[in-house]
Amino acid sequence: MISLEKVSFGYGEGSSTVRDISFHIEKGEFVAILGANGAGKTTTVKLIDGLLKPTKGKVVINGLDTSKTRVSERARHVGFLFQNPDRQICRNTVREELAFGLETVKKDMSREDIDRRVGEVMESFGFSGDEEPFSLSRGERQRVALASVITVQPEIMILDEPTTGLDYRECSHIMDVISDMNRTMGTTVVMVCHDMEVVMSYARRALVMAGGRLLADGTVRSVFRDTELMLKASLLPPQITELSMRLGKGFENADTVGEMTARICSEMQVRRAGR
Amino acid sequence: MKDLFQYTAGNSVIHRMNPLTKILLAVCICAAGFISDNIFYLLFLLLLDMMIGLAAGVFKKALSILKGLLKVSIFLFILQVLFVRRGTPVFWIITDEGLMLAAKVVLRLIIACIPLALMLAVTQISDLANALVQVLHLPYKYAFTLTTSIRFIPQFMEEMGDIMEAQTARGVEFDTKNGLKKIGLVLPLCVPLLISSVRRTDATAVAAEVRGFELRTTKSGFKKYPFRLIDLAAFLICAALIAGAVLL
Ligand SMILES: Nc1ncnc2c1ncn2[C@@H]1O[C@H](COP(=O)(O)OP(=O)(O)O)[C@@H](O)[C@H]1O
Ligand SMILES: [Mg+2]
Repeated sequence: MISLEKVSFGYGEGSSTVRDISFHIEKGEFVAILGANGAGKTTTVKLIDGLLKPTKGKVVINGLDTSKTRVSERARHVGFLFQNPDRQICRNTVREELAFGLETVKKDMSREDIDRRVGEVMESFGFSGDEEPFSLSRGERQRVALASVITVQPEIMILDEPTTGLDYRECSHIMDVISDMNRTMGTTVVMVCHDMEVVMSYARRALVMAGGRLLADGTVRSVFRDTELMLKASLLPPQITELSMRLGKGFENADTVGEMTARICSEMQVRRAGR
Repeated sequence: MKDLFQYTAGNSVIHRMNPLTKILLAVCICAAGFISDNIFYLLFLLLLDMMIGLAAGVFKKALSILKGLLKVSIFLFILQVLFVRRGTPVFWIITDEGLMLAAKVVLRLIIACIPLALMLAVTQISDLANALVQVLHLPYKYAFTLTTSIRFIPQFMEEMGDIMEAQTARGVEFDTKNGLKKIGLVLPLCVPLLISSVRRTDATAVAAEVRGFELRTTKSGFKKYPFRLIDLAAFLICAALIAGAVLL
């Protein structure tokens, strides 16, 4: 569905922000891109949607080479959430903002259908529809931007730091919405994220970047347990994973609070029985 | 275009001049270009522009501005050549006088554009503003407005690019090859751009006020901007340039 082959990219002459990156993403995957600030994550996701064209190598999305096709034609199938929501919002009310995407990419959709779809999303996000996006708080604007991506129901969603600036409740709500689309509709999700707990709870596969290179590509759990790799990429694994690794025997692969609790309970039972 | 207003650090003769001298020099070159009607003098001024670029270590920038002006220049040149009916025909409807006039117009355009851009490239805007306040006793409020607005230009352009990118990703055809269509699409973008700039202006104003903006006087600011020997030399050059333009 998405494939990068030996892709390199530089913003100016001689600079190389992304170097020789290759990976494939299949339909229905939930992939997180991890890395320190300036590692080239945003650049990589922009390359995926063809907002940037590779200087070397080839990017294919939905079977089309991004160098030969236009981004606007892809908008129906690929949704993109930008790191800064203010660059994306362009209408004066939330309702118009959510309808905008459908109006531009689904020209055959009737007004009633558009209104119905917008209504559904507004209800799920708890918007009344008459809010002015630019007078909302930063976290709410972020949610408006995400809601407008979701309204279109794209087959691929590319999300650049969707949870940054959100409080805990807002964060888990949008992640649940995204995860729900991924599970029920098979939406492919590629997400840049700095919150390792979120990555652990929702993503299944992680790409780790540093200095414009792809350091690792594997399951989220295996990546977080690779201490050397995490150090190289200046990342910190979730605390539960860290704890599980320190405790060692009996606590292996306990990466969530639920798993860890279960292990601790059973360990305590064993000890009580032994006493 | 984005880096047009970006400061290029250095320690050249030009860098060391008083900010006001630099601007005066640039203005004098422009003025000389408009006053003079001698094609050789105009060519000399163009050469001078490039030499200043070389001396200030921003020759590359000078060349890139020249390249940027190329399209407009050619367009202007053709227009002039086609519309001037005087003189003896050289070829088809083109006359010798038309060619000469066209060359002068184009040269003037270039001469007027390059020096100001180059001076801005080697002057920190804050220095210019401070010098305006200290030497010419311009109220700080206006100097601040000047520096802030110039500083925002590259940001503004970057924002514009970002917004266009986001709209393209949402299915608006900014990646069309049809230029006219693109212009029509740009208009609705003014909304977010305007809102974000108003908001930023607000934030800047509040930040300035919180930091005691109202208390500044012409004596605030620790850097001083005296006129030195180089500045004197530059003044003489300025006078010579204008005199040359009038006399030649
Ligand atoms: N528009 C741009 N022009 C020039 N350099 C850029 C631009 N955008 C990003 N960069 C540079 O590319 C590098 C990677 O940036 P980015 O992909 O945004 O990193 P990340 O999203 O991982 O924080 C950074 O060093 C940044 O300075
Ligand atoms: Mg980024």
